[in-house]
Amino acid sequence: MMSPPDLSALNTRGTWPPPAGPRVAIVGSRRPSPYGEAVAEQLAADLARAGVIVVSGLALGCDAAAHRGALTAGGVTVAVMGTGIDIIYPAAHLRLAEEIVAGGGALVSQFPKGALPRRQNFPARNVTMAALSDAVVVVEAIQGSGALITAEAALDLHKEVMAVPGSIFSPQSVGTHNLIRDGAALVQNARDVLAALGAGGEVLDDPLAAPQRLGFGLSRERDGILLHLSDVLSVSAAELARKLDLPVAEVLGRLTSLELDGAVRRHGPGFLRALRTGKERA
Amino acid sequence: MLATVHSCVLVGLEARRVEVQADSGNGKPNFHLVGLAATSVKEARERVRSAIKNSGLDFPRARLTVNLAPAEMRKQGSGLDLPIAVAIALAEIGKPGPARTAFLGELALDGAIRHVDGVLVAARCLRKAGIERFFVPAVDASEAALIDGLEVIPCTHLKQVVAHLLGEDSIPPQPFTKAILEFSNGALEHDLGEVHGQEEARRAIEVAAAGGHHLLLTGPPGAGKTMLAACVPGILGPLDLGEAFEVAQVRSLLGDLLPGRPLDWTRPFRAPHHGVSMAGLIGGGTGLALPGEISRANHGVLFLDELAEFQAPVLQALRQPLETGRITITRSGGSVTYPARFTLVAATNPCPCGWLGDSARTCRCTPAVVDAYQRRLSGPLLDRIDLQVGVRRVPLAELASEPRGEASATVQERVLAARTRQLDRQGCLNAQLKPRRLREVARLEPGSRHTLERWSEQKGLTARGFHRAWRVARTAADLEGAEVIGDRHVLEALGYRLHDVAA
Repeated sequence: MMSPPDLSALNTRGTWPPPAGPRVAIVGSRRPSPYGEAVAEQLAADLARAGVIVVSGLALGCDAAAHRGALTAGGVTVAVMGTGIDIIYPAAHLRLAEEIVAGGGALVSQFPKGALPRRQNFPARNVTMAALSDAVVVVEAIQGSGALITAEAALDLHKEVMAVPGSIFSPQSVGTHNLIRDGAALVQNARDVLAALGAGGEVLDDPLAAPQRLGFGLSRERDGILLHLSDVLSVSAAELARKLDLPVAEVLGRLTSLELDGAVRRHGPGFLRALRTGKERA
Repeated sequence: MLATVHSCVLVGLEARRVEVQADSGNGKPNFHLVGLAATSVKEARERVRSAIKNSGLDFPRARLTVNLAPAEMRKQGSGLDLPIAVAIALAEIGKPGPARTAFLGELALDGAIRHVDGVLVAARCLRKAGIERFFVPAVDASEAALIDGLEVIPCTHLKQVVAHLLGEDSIPPQPFTKAILEFSNGALEHDLGEVHGQEEARRAIEVAAAGGHHLLLTGPPGAGKTMLAACVPGILGPLDLGEAFEVAQVRSLLGDLLPGRPLDWTRPFRAPHHGVSMAGLIGGGTGLALPGEISRANHGVLFLDELAEFQAPVLQALRQPLETGRITITRSGGSVTYPARFTLVAATNPCPCGWLGDSARTCRCTPAVVDAYQRRLSGPLLDRIDLQVGVRRVPLAELASEPRGEASATVQERVLAARTRQLDRQGCLNAQLKPRRLREVARLEPGSRHTLERWSEQKGLTARGFHRAWRVARTAADLEGAEVIGDRHVLEALGYRLHDVAA
């Protein structure tokens, strides 16, 4: 395993070190399923509300969702970069990076200023993420994903490793299921993470708060067609038409209507049930 | 003596009349060819001299001048060989040229008459200009004989032509080929009945064919995009006489007509490779531009597989013909306009490796690469493609269990009925409706307008995209035989906008 860098020698922007409090890294696929994205965002938001510093990697997909979730909840989040502190990668996250700094969080990098995004930088960055955090939660990961490097590093550094389960049909959850089988703690909600950190007492003591499970019951069932849609595996209009014995033109129209209402979203050639994200709830 | 003979040169799909004047008089024996002849016409001097000698005729032993009038027009092509030779032969004999008679053909050195391109175009224009008799190469006679009211004389040898003109031996005219005008609808090469599953793409093809809309199919390799595209000509139904005529004229210019069967009723299907050049796709060449693939696909289907692999400037050049159904190309020799009213069916992989969104295989492309790939398709061209659908790959093992769909003949009936409705109502297909006409013939109820506007706002549609979705909704209603566009028609139309992304 790569050894973590000297954490006192990191280049930083924003508020560093961050305010006191447990730090949790939320990591996952750069191309998550809508489920994974929604989980990352909600988990980050719930943890941030409980005073956790959310650490992630500023990458596309789960990372960005985690940063956004923390920011939506008014929390502090830290982005560990695989580039120089002055190079935002991907460039599409320029605004996100500014928001992280403005929100009292920080950008940190172990690489010299001006360092470009190189393939070999990212595994090292993943190790740093583990070193900076008290626990690592893997939201979604295919086999061989960089998020698993972070998890492995966390194990070596004796940090808590946790994983979010998903559908057994989803390749995005193969990595997380393997982690759970190997002993990682199973995460269903923010409370599970807080409990593992030993910081969840006050939350657990509130018997009136219904435990909100991640990824379930988020979508209101307003249309029969929604019952036949999954939030992980996309279904094409043709398959639905066959299943419901309706003309494909009609099914396509109804799906479009649901898409307009935000209940359904396109995914490649098919459709998925949309999960409401933190932004919409806030 | 002076002899004058009529002929023509082609300028795109038009023919300009040319008078060939031959004058032999006193002076040192010599052969001058004047009248702005291009290289291919200047070379006629040598062919004509040999052809006349080898036909047993006398070449004037005098000062010979051949003028091609009007002199300010540049003349290209080998079709003037025959009229020049006839003019010289007549001048030597001392006869004026025949009235209201034109000649076109290339000569071999032995006097045999060879094929030239564009005889059908020449015949049509000459007939309009008052020519009554047309001498053409025998191999091209069936083309010319498609023109009603024109006597077509099929010629195989210069000697035979001169003998005919002198009244020594007459060549029987080519009969006006009514028989080939007879309509024949051959068996389809690709039938939708053989396509398993793919209901969404099948429906999109039907809508595209019914309204004249352009279509983009997105899906992994082996999903059947090419097969689906190849089915489009079949559901469009055969060409009508006017369309077949236009198709034949473009083919005639390119020398592409089948000998003896100049009219073909099947819809053109052109599938140029993605390496195609600008000149190859749009049309081009030196001097005057020749038609490209888009004009060969006129009244039929232009299939562009691997759309993202085409050179960007080539795709950009498609914008004018996609909007207007015509292409105007200007080269050093002048400007020509060719018809290019085709249905574009394009296909693309969702990402460079092709497997993004596939259920069985995992895509190996990084998000940045996928983004760059899809951005190559976006923008002005995509904005002009009304229907965009995803095509799923069905694993081979499951293919047989997927239900077969309707046969092309059944779909064609609905498509033709919808096309007739449009033509009766507005004189053109829905895809060609100008925004003003669209507002007149495709009124939207407040509810369906609201749906369209909501989508437009959510996805940041351009005004062009807005109108295109509206036209598709009109077509969906026409397929149903409905006068009023309902909400369901608008929603279906929006369902075909795969590449609209949230603003």
